[in-house]
Amino acid sequence: MNRFETIPKTRRCQAFITINEPVSSGLIRLEIEVDQEMDFLPGQFAMLNLMGPRKRTFGRPFSILACSGNRVEFLYRVVGGGTGDLAGLKPGHPLTMLGPLGTPFPAPVPGQPAVLLAGGVGLPPVLAWWHRFSRTDDRAFFGARDPGDLPWDLLPVSWDASVDAQGETPVGRVAWQGLVTELAERELTGMDLPPSMVLACGPIPLLEAAGRFAEGRGWDCFVSMEEHMGCGYGACKGCVIPIRSDGQPEAEGRNATCCQEGPIFRAEEILWKQIR
Amino acid sequence: MNLPDWWKIDPCEPFVLGPREFPGRIWTASGCFAYGLTGHEISSRGFTSPYEGLGAVVSKTVTPMARTGNPMPRLCELPTGALNSIGLENVGFDEFLASVLPELERRGVPTVVSLAATRPDEFGVMVAALQMAGADYEHWHGVEINLSCPNVAEGGHDFGRDPETVARCVAAARKALPDRALLAKLTPNVADIASLAKAAAESGADAVSVINTVVGLEVDLTSGRPVLPRRYGGYSGPGVLPIALAKVDEIVQKAGVPVVGVGGIGGAQDALKFFALGAEAVQVGTAQMEDPFAAARIAADLSG
Ligand SMILES: Cc1cc2nc3c(=O)[nH]c(=O)nc-3n(C[C@H](O)[C@H](O)[C@H](O)COP(=O)(O)OP(=O)(O)OC[C@H]3O[C@@H](n4cnc5c(N)ncnc54)[C@H](O)[C@@H]3O)c2cc1C
Ligand SMILES: Cc1cc2nc3c(=O)[nH]c(=O)nc-3n(C[C@H](O)[C@H](O)[C@H](O)COP(=O)(O)O)c2cc1C
Ligand code: FES
Repeated sequence: MNRFETIPKTRRCQAFITINEPVSSGLIRLEIEVDQEMDFLPGQFAMLNLMGPRKRTFGRPFSILACSGNRVEFLYRVVGGGTGDLAGLKPGHPLTMLGPLGTPFPAPVPGQPAVLLAGGVGLPPVLAWWHRFSRTDDRAFFGARDPGDLPWDLLPVSWDASVDAQGETPVGRVAWQGLVTELAERELTGMDLPPSMVLACGPIPLLEAAGRFAEGRGWDCFVSMEEHMGCGYGACKGCVIPIRSDGQPEAEGRNATCCQEGPIFRAEEILWKQIR
Repeated sequence: MNLPDWWKIDPCEPFVLGPREFPGRIWTASGCFAYGLTGHEISSRGFTSPYEGLGAVVSKTVTPMARTGNPMPRLCELPTGALNSIGLENVGFDEFLASVLPELERRGVPTVVSLAATRPDEFGVMVAALQMAGADYEHWHGVEINLSCPNVAEGGHDFGRDPETVARCVAAARKALPDRALLAKLTPNVADIASLAKAAAESGADAVSVINTVVGLEVDLTSGRPVLPRRYGGYSGPGVLPIALAKVDEIVQKAGVPVVGVGGIGGAQDALKFFALGAEAVQVGTAQMEDPFAAARIAADLSG
């Protein structure tokens, strides 16, 4: 992976909520103000935890969407107790943040266009890469459950969107029905593209499909993996992902920490069959 | 922070444990802060590193051979802590000696090496190799033998359940360890922890580390099955604090053995409770995962 020379410094911060508002039927935009200036690279994440009586044993990992000065932005979906509590909080509520953490998506390579694929709550790292690095040749595709789940205001107009189920879309915007990888396949087939780089974040089936999509063309593919985490900084081995070890047969894989060696991996490294 | 009147010591001052002087009394617990090479670059207001003020880092338990550990999920969060079933994933003893220990020395991390073996005499073999490799090391202060792991030679029961086995493990390690501290880490999952502590001290342990995790289980109501693939996990975090305090007290009262208190410490107040009962030092485990500065903050708070 073409790594960055310098990875921004990880900080443990006190923070408070500045914005916590829905941007679609399923996604909530969270902005926090932290006690130090922060920087990040697209694909990196942070562990967030509430302060006070609702503090959890472990922080929750969220990809960083954007960051400027002391403000850090996330997009999240309510799935359980921690995110449920978070959704009920008003601006001013105190949090803690540990971040940025993990290995980012690679930087763009001159002459190698990027194809970005995101599904649902996998949007933040891909959108962050787009805002930081995108060039005219790069293409992006985003898939959601239905048009109501699409955060239209955050989505650049040049992005192609797909949905599992049709519904009303804002004036001037369209969503194609089907899987986001199928949409990308349809749009890119027949185009005379130089070897490209695929960057993907979303549910496991999407990541696996992104890997196959790239492999079929002989392209590089980087995926953002998700695993349950304890510490988020490589201290506990609670978040491992089975990957190929160099030069070994598939059965001889090894465990990689999702939080430190990941969350971004080369798709061909992952032992998909061993993933739960 | 307001410190109680009886609290007179500075936990960031050196103190003697067995044949060794440690730089301080606030340590991190095994398995919750990797090997002591992780997180050095993290900063937080008022701290330049999570290692500031630490008396020792107890490394992740190292086994004779590398281990890949248990299947995921390995952690299950609970309202009062967590269950873990990491399965002692580690790089193996040879790799630890070849690359981890020298790096700990180079970085000046005060280190206690946690070891697990498959037979009592193997502890002796490992400690002897460690002694050879680390003889000149300034920052390697001791060994903690993890007795909460299966004794393959004797039917797979934990070493730590029977005083005679504890004695054999400790004696084997002590023989090979002339000038560093030797700690025996005890499991709380026994009826009479004081007699185990006594057996450890009589065989040459300088202190016992108490407690390791408490056996626990969580059920997923959707599937009706245990959450962890191996069914049982080790319970740790705030919920085990009273259990740890009781075990420490039992040992101090009945056996009079020096104790390093571990279990449920989240802040300075919790650590003080162990010191009030007579602990020589304390270790911070689960709390260190959520906040890499947990132990450093406790050290700063208690040194006034
Ligand atoms: C690197 C990374 C980046 C992520 N980025 C985002 C993001 O940008 N937006 C977003 O909405 N979600 C993101 N997630 C998923 C998010 O962490 C979970 O939705 C969240 O932890 C759920 O917490 P909970 O308390 O609501 O769920 P509960 O199910 O009540 O939590 C129980 C435990 O399981 C863990 N857990 C549950 N679901 C997941 C999951 N899918 N992934 C990891 N741990 C989980 C929790 O952290 C907690 O420890 C990311 C996960 C990872 C690993
Ligand atoms: C994720 C995790 C991994 C652990 N690994 C080890 C280990 O390798 N060896 C060991 O002796 N104890 C291990 N422990 C136990 C802790 O060192 C400690 O004894 C226990 O968690 C109680 O302290 P706490 O409540 O502060 O966490 C582990 C605990 C956790 C949570
Ligand atoms: S979450 Fe602890 S090592 Fe990854």
